[in-house]
Amino acid sequence: MLPESTVFVVDDDEAMRNSLRWLIESVKLPVETYASSAEFLDAFEGMPGCLILDVRMPGMGGLDLQGKLREKSICLPIIFISGHGDIPMAVNAMKAGAIDFIEKPFNDQVLLDRIYYAIELCKRMRKTREAQFNIVANYRLLTSRECQVVEGGVAGKSNKVIAAELGVSWKTIEVHRANAMRKMQANSLSELVGMVLHLRAA
Amino acid sequence: MVPYSQWFLAGAASLLAMVAVVVYVLALNRRLQQSKHELEKEIAERRRAEERLAEKENRLRLIIESEPECVKLQTIDGKLLEMNPAGLALVDAERPEEIVGSSVYRFIAPAYRSAYEALTKRVFQGESGVMEFQIISLKGHHRWLETHAVPLLGSSGETVALLGITRDITGRKRAEEEMRRHNTELAHVSRLTMMCEMASTLAHELNQPLSAISNYTRGCMRRIRSASSTREEILAAMELVCVQAERAGEIIRSIRAFVKKGESSRMPSQINAIVRDAVRFADPEARQHGVGIRLQLAEQLPPVLADAIQIEQVILNIVRNAIEAMDSMKFGKREIVIETALGECDALEVRVTDTGPGMSSVKFEEVFDPFVSTKPTGMGMGLTISRSIIEAHGGRLWATPNPGRGLTFRFKLPMTREVHDYAA
Repeated sequence: MLPESTVFVVDDDEAMRNSLRWLIESVKLPVETYASSAEFLDAFEGMPGCLILDVRMPGMGGLDLQGKLREKSICLPIIFISGHGDIPMAVNAMKAGAIDFIEKPFNDQVLLDRIYYAIELCKRMRKTREAQFNIVANYRLLTSRECQVVEGGVAGKSNKVIAAELGVSWKTIEVHRANAMRKMQANSLSELVGMVLHLRAA
Repeated sequence: MVPYSQWFLAGAASLLAMVAVVVYVLALNRRLQQSKHELEKEIAERRRAEERLAEKENRLRLIIESEPECVKLQTIDGKLLEMNPAGLALVDAERPEEIVGSSVYRFIAPAYRSAYEALTKRVFQGESGVMEFQIISLKGHHRWLETHAVPLLGSSGETVALLGITRDITGRKRAEEEMRRHNTELAHVSRLTMMCEMASTLAHELNQPLSAISNYTRGCMRRIRSASSTREEILAAMELVCVQAERAGEIIRSIRAFVKKGESSRMPSQINAIVRDAVRFADPEARQHGVGIRLQLAEQLPPVLADAIQIEQVILNIVRNAIEAMDSMKFGKREIVIETALGECDALEVRVTDTGPGMSSVKFEEVFDPFVSTKPTGMGMGLTISRSIIEAHGGRLWATPNPGRGLTFRFKLPMTREVHDYAA
């Protein structure tokens, strides 16, 4: 069973932490609170969920923590909360992939909706990531000849052209392609091409 | 029969006696004449001496009479023995008879009577002293006076009267008062400016409790609707709502107190409490800039006679300058340490140390000048006003570079006798 999604709250203001816990727990979501970015980084074990992050904190601020998480390629959707209408900060946060930038004090429904969305997003991201991971792992299983055949396919060449280029028979190319599709767990040629393109994009 | 020779002898003796008598009388007369002459001379001399004395006294009197400052003699219980015309003018009397013989306390303003009494007592114990006090003249005019009182000694060295030389310092006092009001006004304007600069930070500070209140309340509503919490849980959360509402109220109250206008009022104040109030204001801004503020407050410090709001303003000014100075730093610890300590010469010392980049020695002297600012948006009045506030409190404000890095701003506030009395 997948670990339960948790809402992580990082805010230096104790009242904000406790009140957010009270609010979010009222919709039966598990909450964990931290007084600083460093405390969170120490404790975080890669659980799924989302992060509610105060922008301005002493020591490591919210944007710094966002950067750190990205560095460590930890995928956890972030909802920033801020007391200021700090536009440049919001722009930077959003550019760096934050889901939202909410100004205090906020409407509870808005926050909870964002939290649900973030949790869903996290699940999706994790699935995609897993799929991607599988693609990478599977691609590594291909022989160099199979790779050449697949690359040719991606470039839109027919088996005949690939066979001519590689100086082997059409039949051999067919076998290589079948092997590659089996290893990559692709059901069709288009799926195989999609996987490889995805791989290149990532 | 008596012999002729005997007659002759008797005659000669009588003649001799007569001659002797005549000679004696003549000598007597001469001595008499001499005595008379000496007497006359003495009389003349005495007369001349008396004339000289009278002249001297006259001259002295003339000097005293024409002396522009009040000269007066009084007894230990305040009875006026003498007063010159300048003195009469001070109390709006036309003739000496109007006031000589009456008590000086009829003029001295009630608030200063006991201090004047104490001074008089000291003078009759042989000391001298100076004091400033207020009087109300015969015509009801209020005047500020400064008197120098010395004992007037009799021939056997005992104090026979208090000799007081008194001048009218109303003009000076008025100028001082005007200056003080001007400074208070300036300090107030600069407080408002500071508050404007800090508005967004303070709004943020106010947002914290408001957001917490909103979160708690919304949470309560959801739990009540879904009946997912017990009564006790909800009540506990409501309790926290109240705490946060009070926190918001406290922030607003302190802002209001800080910007309030009005006469500066000096009261015995605890310096540590003032420091804590200032830090509560500065803390949100410090946190925003990643600056930690650490306090090292000496315990059991005596109170100082100070305008708490103005001193808070000075601390806030210095702390905000330090935060700003450290903001340009890319590396290194950002910390402000505020210390309070009992200094030398009955003074309290407050030190604000930062770990910022410091300052060149040229700029060092300039920071206290008006309109000198290192900030693009600053008016450059902060430290100027801070210094004038501290100096108006009889203290001193200065800055020194740290041995490592950064600057230390220090100020001293004197502890006055009044404060000691008040504290006792």
